[in-house]
Amino acid sequence: MNTIIILTILAIVVLLLGISSKKQWLVPAIFIGLLLALVGNFLPQLLPASKTVHMLSVDSISKPFTSLMLVLTFLIFLIADHYFVVKKKTVEDVYAIILFSLIGAVILTMFTNMVMFFIGLEIMSVSLYILAGSKKTSSRSNEAAMKYFLMGTFSTGVLLLGITLIYGATGSFDLAQIGTLISSGNVMPSYLKAGILLLTIGVLFKIGAVPFHFWVPDVYHGAPTLITTYMATVVKIAGVVAFYRLYSQSFMGAKDMWTTLMAVMAVATIFVGNLSALHQDRVKRMLAYSSIAHTGYLMLALVAFDHKSVSYLFYYMVAYSVATIGVFSTLMLVRENIKEGTYSMFEGLAKRNSFLSFGMAVSLISLTGLPPLAGFMAKYLVFVQAINEGYLWLTIAAIIGTAISVVYYFRIIVAMYMKTPSDVKITLTTRSRVLLSLFILLTIALGVYPDMILNLCWCGM
Amino acid sequence: MDIYIFYGLSILMIFSSIMVLVSKKGIHSLLYLIFSFFTLAGHYVLLNAQFLAVVHIIVYAGAIMVLFLFSVMLLNLNVESEVPKSLYARLAAVVASGLLLVTLISALKGFDISSTKPIHLSQIGTVENLGKILYSDYLLPFEIASVLFISAMVGAVMLGRKELNF
Repeated sequence: MNTIIILTILAIVVLLLGISSKKQWLVPAIFIGLLLALVGNFLPQLLPASKTVHMLSVDSISKPFTSLMLVLTFLIFLIADHYFVVKKKTVEDVYAIILFSLIGAVILTMFTNMVMFFIGLEIMSVSLYILAGSKKTSSRSNEAAMKYFLMGTFSTGVLLLGITLIYGATGSFDLAQIGTLISSGNVMPSYLKAGILLLTIGVLFKIGAVPFHFWVPDVYHGAPTLITTYMATVVKIAGVVAFYRLYSQSFMGAKDMWTTLMAVMAVATIFVGNLSALHQDRVKRMLAYSSIAHTGYLMLALVAFDHKSVSYLFYYMVAYSVATIGVFSTLMLVRENIKEGTYSMFEGLAKRNSFLSFGMAVSLISLTGLPPLAGFMAKYLVFVQAINEGYLWLTIAAIIGTAISVVYYFRIIVAMYMKTPSDVKITLTTRSRVLLSLFILLTIALGVYPDMILNLCWCGM
Repeated sequence: MDIYIFYGLSILMIFSSIMVLVSKKGIHSLLYLIFSFFTLAGHYVLLNAQFLAVVHIIVYAGAIMVLFLFSVMLLNLNVESEVPKSLYARLAAVVASGLLLVTLISALKGFDISSTKPIHLSQIGTVENLGKILYSDYLLPFEIASVLFISAMVGAVMLGRKELNF
């Protein structure tokens, strides 16, 4: 709750700073505000719990994920500063809307009530529709915003119908109450299942799982790259955590009904994501499909569910997000010099800037999931968990998917190291160097010492 | 008595909803949509949710539909300017929505209506009761909804403004 209050104030301060003449304070203010929000996440709550008890709970699930999202947003703003100075004169509106959507994402990690869930989801999505279209002169960005808006609102309608049916069946919006009612063994009205199904469809749409993934490549491709980075990391985390909260607190009693469904969709997501990524010419579209595939691996952890899966999910998210931000920030740096977005822009990057290409290679290998990097441990933990829960066939499918993914991730690495370079040299600013080093260090350190994160999640915050 | 009104309203509503889809002219679709909103408001009244019924008519039939009507008239939509959709896309849409229909019908088929205990509180939907609930149990979502609105407003200004120096 502290985090939500601080972030709201921060977003309004950012808007006011935009009106005033002190625009140089914009980014420092955001950094200070995000740090305060991070501290506030662990402090005792400002509002007494009795006021929020049926709506939000700041607990051992929400704290680590909220912190992760705040840190990721911090990193994204470190890139954003540079990105927007090159491209845009007024930035405070975009910054404020990013912060607003972050508030929605934070709510999605801590809701205990369907009403809160819906409001959090809408705050996040409405802000994202706008952000996707924030590059107004580009027709692709407009298309992305329009597509995302139309499909997103439609899926919201489906989700609402689901919530309504669940409310009709259980008479409650409270997740814990719904949970006790469903697992109590009483005969529930038959439309409860339809409600859970429709709710699942709505949430799966938001995290971009097959067969509700059709918007992902277009939106990720059309939106400004910085917003794509934000969507691929923070928004995906929020969606998956919301999913975890809903299912672990409310629908465990109806587990038989949705696990098979989810397992089939997880396999479909892994295969469609990986196979489609093979055919892409444009790097951003490839990354969009790769993020679909990663959604599939995350769904694996949701299907093979027990009390430990939350820490594995957290570890997976950290590894995936760090690598994704690394890849996208490299993409942005390379795109400053070369306009086209195909694989050829990476040709000979190793000669043009060896440090940049090393960072890109480390991030890509981590996304692939090869040892000793963080991505390997993340996949390993999730797969082992799935095998322990008896989903061997699912794990085999996921491993085949990972093998396919090697092809398209290594296409970039091959282009970087084995093709002849063009003449353009890329020079990095000190900040980009520091950031890239941070991504590389994190990816390696997390892979070697996974306990660093796994224990962090368990220390009973 | 209630049950006859319920079935009458439902039949009218389904009819007008189908007409929204079937009508060739955009304006006709919209008028049918307004009609279906009114029948929905009738359902709210049947459920003792008078405030909701009034708000529904004011917001949907009043504000939003007028906006729709204006945009349809200004955009000058008609059948000729419509992009033809391929047979494949139409077929896929029919199959997908047909499947959803089957799912919902099968979910409701085995349901015994008499097993529900209808709560007959004549005061349940009054402004007073709604306000009490909204400002006590649901105070937090009510306040956080303001974040949604400010975000949407800032976004509308951002998208609507002329970008001179991009």
